[in-house]
Amino acid sequence: MFRVPRDPLYRSISRRRFLELGGGAATALGAGSIAVGLNSVITRRPVYAASSDDAKWKQYAGSKLVFMSENTPPSFAIRDNLKPFYDLTGIEVEILTDDLPVVQQKVGIDLRSGKADFHLNYVQDKPIGAPFADFYADLMRFAGDDTLPQDPEGVADEAWFENFLTACGRMYSGERIIAFPYDCAVACTFYRQDLFEKYSKDFEADHGYRLEFTPDTTWKQLYEFAAFFKKLREAGQDVPYGYAQHHGSFAWTTQLDIQRMLFAHGRWIDFDIDDKLGSKTPGPTNWGDETSVFIMEKFREQAEVCHPDNLANGTLQLNTVYQAGQIAMQVQYHEFAASIEDENTSRAAGGKTAYAACPKGEPSWIKNGGPAVNGCNCGIGGIGINANASEDLQRAAYIFAVWATSRDTQFNVLKGVGGTPTRKSVLDIPEVQAARQRPTSMPNALTFEAVYDIGIRDPNFVLGPKIPEANEYHQIILTEVQKCVSGKQTAEEACLAIKEQVDDLHDL
Amino acid sequence: MAARTGGRFDLGRAATADAAAAVLPVRHVAGVRTIDYAPARLNPQPSRSYYFWMMAPAIVVLAAISLYPFFWLVWMSLHNVEVGAGPDTFVGFANFERLFTRDRKFWNGWSLLLQYSAMCLSLQIVLGVLLAVILNGSRYEKILVTVILMPMMMAPVIAGLVWYYLYNSTFGWYHWLLQSAGILGETSIVGSTSTAMLGLVIVDVWQWTPLITLITLAGMKRVPRDQLEANMVDGAGELRNFFAIVLPNLYPFLLIAILLRFMDNFRFIDVALTLTGGGPADATNILPVYLFDVSFQYFKLGRGAAIALTLLLVTILLGMLLVRLFEGPQSRRADMGSEG
Repeated sequence: MFRVPRDPLYRSISRRRFLELGGGAATALGAGSIAVGLNSVITRRPVYAASSDDAKWKQYAGSKLVFMSENTPPSFAIRDNLKPFYDLTGIEVEILTDDLPVVQQKVGIDLRSGKADFHLNYVQDKPIGAPFADFYADLMRFAGDDTLPQDPEGVADEAWFENFLTACGRMYSGERIIAFPYDCAVACTFYRQDLFEKYSKDFEADHGYRLEFTPDTTWKQLYEFAAFFKKLREAGQDVPYGYAQHHGSFAWTTQLDIQRMLFAHGRWIDFDIDDKLGSKTPGPTNWGDETSVFIMEKFREQAEVCHPDNLANGTLQLNTVYQAGQIAMQVQYHEFAASIEDENTSRAAGGKTAYAACPKGEPSWIKNGGPAVNGCNCGIGGIGINANASEDLQRAAYIFAVWATSRDTQFNVLKGVGGTPTRKSVLDIPEVQAARQRPTSMPNALTFEAVYDIGIRDPNFVLGPKIPEANEYHQIILTEVQKCVSGKQTAEEACLAIKEQVDDLHDL
Repeated sequence: MAARTGGRFDLGRAATADAAAAVLPVRHVAGVRTIDYAPARLNPQPSRSYYFWMMAPAIVVLAAISLYPFFWLVWMSLHNVEVGAGPDTFVGFANFERLFTRDRKFWNGWSLLLQYSAMCLSLQIVLGVLLAVILNGSRYEKILVTVILMPMMMAPVIAGLVWYYLYNSTFGWYHWLLQSAGILGETSIVGSTSTAMLGLVIVDVWQWTPLITLITLAGMKRVPRDQLEANMVDGAGELRNFFAIVLPNLYPFLLIAILLRFMDNFRFIDVALTLTGGGPADATNILPVYLFDVSFQYFKLGRGAAIALTLLLVTILLGMLLVRLFEGPQSRRADMGSEG
């Protein structure tokens, strides 16, 4: 294959020698990877740190941290652009990303086993924060430390959007902060404005009111919109289905889907606890009461007018269905606006989609005497520090947490891949204010009115339940709701089955 | 004590020492040179500790990778090992009591696992043997075997993801194909409680039937030609030949195939997790998936260990039963052979 000169100057190498060298090199590389690649490195310079503000950022220069995160836009954007942080601090950060259930498993094993392979964790409020709260460092300890760099805007509640710090940072008591808000996914309604305008007259002729979304649009009206589209389709018209729910295999999103509807009708919550702080001993659940049974039945009826593959579609797949132009409405998390507005991948792009708050409760459906609200829930992804790590690693990790949640970093992410800011000050930036109207270079900003001005504000905001058994709770909800929706049990049977299992979960 | 009989006697060693050991009591019986016994100094019986130290490395490795985790599993199943930072508390058989008396998903998981295994095994055996019969001795056997082995080379997680996309009702090619043929409606195969399990079985059959084919093909090469020819002389056709000669000869090979696949199915998780996650409505929540959820989603490690122990026990028992089932025809044939 290769031409070999007759009198080569180099010494030939025997096959045995070649294999020996190869084996040696492979062993050395493997051992090197284990020794260096997978381990953290910490380099500390406390005396230098006290010399200036700049030195506070650089006191752990030469250190290496590992951040385990969900595959969300901020993590992608930060991972691809870590140079400013490295230049500022000299700290190397390895960001590992994966689907949320996988992140939950990995960090869970790391935390539970007393290890600190991941110094920084993506602390999604319920699936990760609620079960593992005890394993995270109290960030207020570092926030009050003048030997560490701090964000000029601070990290108190006022710096973040309403409820955000409590959602991901306070678990079961107000004494500790285990995470700073890093990103967020807040529910709002995406709908095909072009189709709504096209069929508005027909709809009005049938129902006596306009086919449009406003903050006062109710869940009953959403059902009527969806039924109208289905009827058109069955009549042979080339229209998409009206609506689809969140099911699929990730249980949390189904729990959130029905929770929005329940909360909208009298601010119903799962347990009689402080919804924002959560509880380790939540007591008996409210599932099985009149409100839950009634709304479960409405949820089942809603499923009948949904896209036929309703049960297969989790949140991501549902968004794909909407992108493909197969449904006219979805209640979806605002981080997906960027993908909807991408003309290369979405048939709903190009100004066809409008955004509104989550539907409001229908007054005639309220059974508990509470108010009708635009029940809106979310996942607030925090950034937390593994308390198993050494003190110096925790301090170095805090420096990254401060930088990653700063206004400038969040603004850069929003400009880049479509971030979801958690700091209020990002919305005050003139470019961001301008981006809230079309045409825009920051598509997620089109949702900001529905999300930040209405959805996350009380009385519309619902968070919980923050309980240690959150993940098992979500799975119980998913299973029983799907059984109900697929006709295997009635709404009442579903609610009672949930109650029985959830109370059993809490040894009641 | 020296070995007196040829069975335990190290003849090789004695032969090499032949010249030097003039002391060996050599006799000549009917012209054949024999040795009655060897002195202990030439063929000493090793002490018990010698055997122990020879086996020690294997025992240590086995203990590290198998016995230690097993006893740890038993320990966990008797304790409350949860997600919290608190100590693990001894709860006796409470984890098992919960499983057997209150846990609906546990029983549902068993029922689904048995259904799943039965469907996969029967389809794979029938299709695998059929494919082997077709391929055996065909002109393009080697090429075709290589081609049909390809699914096996794929990691199960990747297979799950590939089929996830193929089944998808929005952009899945198989869904489109089946919908165009009028077999499926707008609901994908994994989107309905009545067809989701079938979706999983199809993936398993697609990926692992080639293994049965491969093992069966190997077995078919060992079928004695003289038996086949004798049967044909007696007027048997191809079909009778297959059932009377080929199939009985394939029993040991099929036993290996079935055992491998049965144990694989009992720890099957990859495709189910990527394709359905156990849903919809628990329709595919087979026991290994539930075990994974309990252990690594809910972090109830004590409860998870109890489920794992029951799974292990049943796997061992069913494995023994299968071996016995297949040993029946084997030993019957052996008996017939010795009688003949």
